[in-house]
Amino acid sequence: MKPADNIHELFKKAAMNTNPRMDDTVLDKVLIAHEKAKNTRPALAEPALRRTIMKSPITKLAAAAVIIAVVVLGLFELITTENKSGVVWAQVAKNVEASPSVIFRARGTGSRDPNDDWPNAYRIFWRSAALDRADWYRNGQIHRTIYTNLDTKTLIGVLHDHKMYSKEALSDERIQQAREGKGWSDPQTLINLALSLEHRALGQKTINGVLCEGIEATGPDGGTGRLWVGVETGYPVLAEIEGMKGGIRTTGTLDQFRWNVDLLAEGIEPEIPAGYDPL
Amino acid sequence: MVEDRLLIWKFKLGNAEALRRIYEKYKNDLLKLAVALTNDVHTSEDVVQDVFVNFAQSAATIRLAGNLKTYLATCVANRIRNAVRDRQRHEAAGIEDAECIVSEAERPEQWAILSEELELLSEAMAQIPYEQREVIGLHMQGGMTFRQIAKARNASINTIQGRYRYGLNKLRSILDGQVDK
Repeated sequence: MKPADNIHELFKKAAMNTNPRMDDTVLDKVLIAHEKAKNTRPALAEPALRRTIMKSPITKLAAAAVIIAVVVLGLFELITTENKSGVVWAQVAKNVEASPSVIFRARGTGSRDPNDDWPNAYRIFWRSAALDRADWYRNGQIHRTIYTNLDTKTLIGVLHDHKMYSKEALSDERIQQAREGKGWSDPQTLINLALSLEHRALGQKTINGVLCEGIEATGPDGGTGRLWVGVETGYPVLAEIEGMKGGIRTTGTLDQFRWNVDLLAEGIEPEIPAGYDPL
Repeated sequence: MVEDRLLIWKFKLGNAEALRRIYEKYKNDLLKLAVALTNDVHTSEDVVQDVFVNFAQSAATIRLAGNLKTYLATCVANRIRNAVRDRQRHEAAGIEDAECIVSEAERPEQWAILSEELELLSEAMAQIPYEQREVIGLHMQGGMTFRQIAKARNASINTIQGRYRYGLNKLRSILDGQVDK
């Protein structure tokens, strides 16, 4: 018999049991830690701003969207200057802030994220103050849907690849955190960030047939965000972010924007397909 | 594997029941791994409890591309590495005994209950170098491949396989010696 067989046999025989009372004690500590963590960070994974953007853009779309508005709002200081281009940046800032909802696509590259198989993976977001839905796609197939409705206090998750779903109630505390952690729709956060950014004009170019004007902003951590806004509409058309994290370049792209959409009318609550089992 | 992915997903959505199931599923395996690596029940209990507490706090940030058991086993091994380093520092500073007295006095009742075979195994494991012990433990108890261990330890696969072979031979002679007695 090889040494490995002997030892392997011994590992198998070497049984381990636990004291049930201590099991409960340790589990209580673990569950308390879990509960505390839920109460100290938004359960809806709304991240902190640029630090997280650069960490993994595709999974941090709420924060990535901040960049769009930040870049726009960063131009508040240009409001009083003469603008020779077709874009009225002050109006763009107002448009973004006033838009009750937005739909967009997000793609990104980064490290250690299984969703980073650019360009085959992307997410579609529907977002308003109360509603949030993200559909995750890989190779053209939807494999996850996460939906939250802060008004009805509902969280729905659908694992299309496993044909399973989950419906849960959101606690008031988590709802409050989600509202506060909206990121891009928090004007105060945006203005604070905007004031810390420098930016430069990129001129005009046509993106998907739309004449756009762009600016580029660089954060103190070296991360860069570029925003392209439709000259005619005054709404963002394309946002690109890039930065370095741990020596690895990460990028994120937000496009296919639809602003001022009535999400209730769109009926974005996911329907659970027949044959799916509760998780 | 699929069950783990579902548990993880639900755990990330904030579900405590999923966490409870993960805990029930892996606590024994992790305690056994920790005992095999440390030959110290109290340290093993502390390490495994810390790993679960940290895991519980990571719901919003954790990214698991691979196997949950592998992830947790690596966490246990990393913490034990740190504990071994700390102990060596304390020993160098001459404060090991004092700390032990305090921790023994305050310790709650024992969590892990070892079989005779596990006691025998962990005592034998304690006699081989830690690097070899770690590879054997992660491979045999943690279910990790040599490639996974090599990646986790930032070492070549040949190095890991070498540690495994040398470790097994030593372990076998130690155990044979004990049986002969």
